[in-house]
Amino acid sequence: MSDEDHAWHEAGPERLYVITGGRSGEAAKEPLDLVTLVIARSGPPHGMQPEQAAILRLCTAPISVAEIAAYLGLPFSVVSVLLGDLLAEELVVTRSTVPPVADMGLIKEVIRGLEQL
Amino acid sequence: MDPTGPATGMRRDRAVSPWVIPPIAVALGTLIALLVIGTDARVPVAWVGGFATLVVSFVALVVDQRSSTLAALRADYAGQEAAARGRLAQQEAETVRLAALLPEAVHRLQKGEFAEDVLSEVRYDPALAHEFQLAHEAALRAVVDAIQNAEDLRESAERGFVNIARRVQAIIHQQAQSLREMEQRHGQDHQVFADLLKLDHGTALVGRLADSIAVLGGDRPGRQWGRAVPLYSVLRGAMSRIIDYQRVELHPVSEVAVVGPAVEPLIHAIAELLDNATRYSPPQTKVHLTAAEVQSGVAIEIEDGGVGLSEEARERAERMLREAQAGIDLHDLGETPRLGLAVVGRLAQAYDLTVALRSSAYGGVRAVLIVPATLITSTPATGAAHGIGTTFGPRPLAEAGTRRRVAGPKASPPVELGADPSANGLPQRRRRHLATAAETSEAAPAAGPAAPAATATAKPEGSSEPGMWLGEFTDALAGRDGAPDVPFPQSGDESTDERDKRE
Repeated sequence: MSDEDHAWHEAGPERLYVITGGRSGEAAKEPLDLVTLVIARSGPPHGMQPEQAAILRLCTAPISVAEIAAYLGLPFSVVSVLLGDLLAEELVVTRSTVPPVADMGLIKEVIRGLEQL
Repeated sequence: MDPTGPATGMRRDRAVSPWVIPPIAVALGTLIALLVIGTDARVPVAWVGGFATLVVSFVALVVDQRSSTLAALRADYAGQEAAARGRLAQQEAETVRLAALLPEAVHRLQKGEFAEDVLSEVRYDPALAHEFQLAHEAALRAVVDAIQNAEDLRESAERGFVNIARRVQAIIHQQAQSLREMEQRHGQDHQVFADLLKLDHGTALVGRLADSIAVLGGDRPGRQWGRAVPLYSVLRGAMSRIIDYQRVELHPVSEVAVVGPAVEPLIHAIAELLDNATRYSPPQTKVHLTAAEVQSGVAIEIEDGGVGLSEEARERAERMLREAQAGIDLHDLGETPRLGLAVVGRLAQAYDLTVALRSSAYGGVRAVLIVPATLITSTPATGAAHGIGTTFGPRPLAEAGTRRRVAGPKASPPVELGADPSANGLPQRRRRHLATAAETSEAAPAAGPAAPAATATAKPEGSSEPGMWLGEFTDALAGRDGAPDVPFPQSGDESTDERDKRE
């Protein structure tokens, strides 16, 4: 996978700052994290930036930001910038996951309980 | 006596020499005197008259002879003078020819011909004196040799330039690659990422400079692309290499690709034109970049809202482009070199691009770069190498879904994230149990309560690896029936919820 990624990195003549328009995702309104789920609200409109169009195509079913980043071979920051634009245009909806820390104790409890069976 | 020949001839031609008159006059005078005077004086007078006539005749004869000799000499002199003038004129003409010959010889030497070839083709008028010819040849040879030396020096300097530029290019390429890897690695830290982007941008600018020097030195810019690259990527690649890329507005372009060998030159030429456009227009204005298919290929337009070009400035710019096409001297670039147009001209000449500068409707300059159809291919490259634009672009939605499902197991990190904490929370004993076949039957009931409906479908394959659960998870994601719930990752619940909401 990493080899493939490497091949891909070699491939495009464009650099990442052109894809994000120079933004690094610092000023994102809605903080996205790796496990935020994204769903597209519609298909990509004509003349859209290929990366954003690709995200919209990927998001026909809910998918996490991490997965999007992996499929596109783009760093998380780039994907979050692109998603930020898509959110602003209301082309995608995001949903944060329940904080995993809250569940952790419960899961452990359940496991312990199961073990004791 | 050579001169007497023509002299006697002249005397014969001139039937009556003026010098006949004095003796005749004296003889006549004597005769008249003899008739007039008395008889006693006739004898002495006759003597005197006869003597005088003789003397005068002699003198006249001598004078006549001398004058004819003089005439002959004069004629001879005139002939010599004419010959001398003729030779002089010839030599003058020859010198003028040399003056015209020299620049041509210099030009040919600069084009890379050998001094010997140039010299051997010089033809001399055979009527010229040998010494004169030799002297001319020597002069010509001296000049040609001097020029040849200068050319050699220039060439080696140019090679040096290109050599250095190539090394810089190699380093920059390496740098860009490692930057890309770092961007991938630190993609989650926005601040580090922002800094990396800045570095990346700076590196790209240095790379363009190195490419420019290489092009001016007669080399090709940057790397070779082994495959066609979509025009959109080419245009963005060009944007990557200028300072003010944020001011460039890239409009949707036709879906064509540029053949591999022309990719880098095209990127470079467009980058130089974009750089010109952004540099010579107010910072708050946009530069529009579009591309459209035309009869002869693809026309790439770069339009800025700057001050525009006066007719004179446009002439100058186009002259620069033309001169660059004819080949340029690195030494002529001056102290603050305006490499841009020179580079574009060079590339245009090498790759059959047509560049035109016109005034724009926005008031600025509109640069049109026409890429010949031979450099354009209509089939965009496929596969991952092509980049995201088309990897996902033309793929139908259903296929994208398939791809996701198939690739599902590969995206193991989230699954492991979900599994690991539980594994960590468990005692070692449990892990060993997991590894045994007996444990799987235990694992199935564990999932059972969570997904009662799933057990039926899960059982036939339930005796396999935990990875199969992921299969179910992805099935559920894809909306397949019979797998409504997913045991492991919490995100699974979320995703199904989302899906339900959508449906």
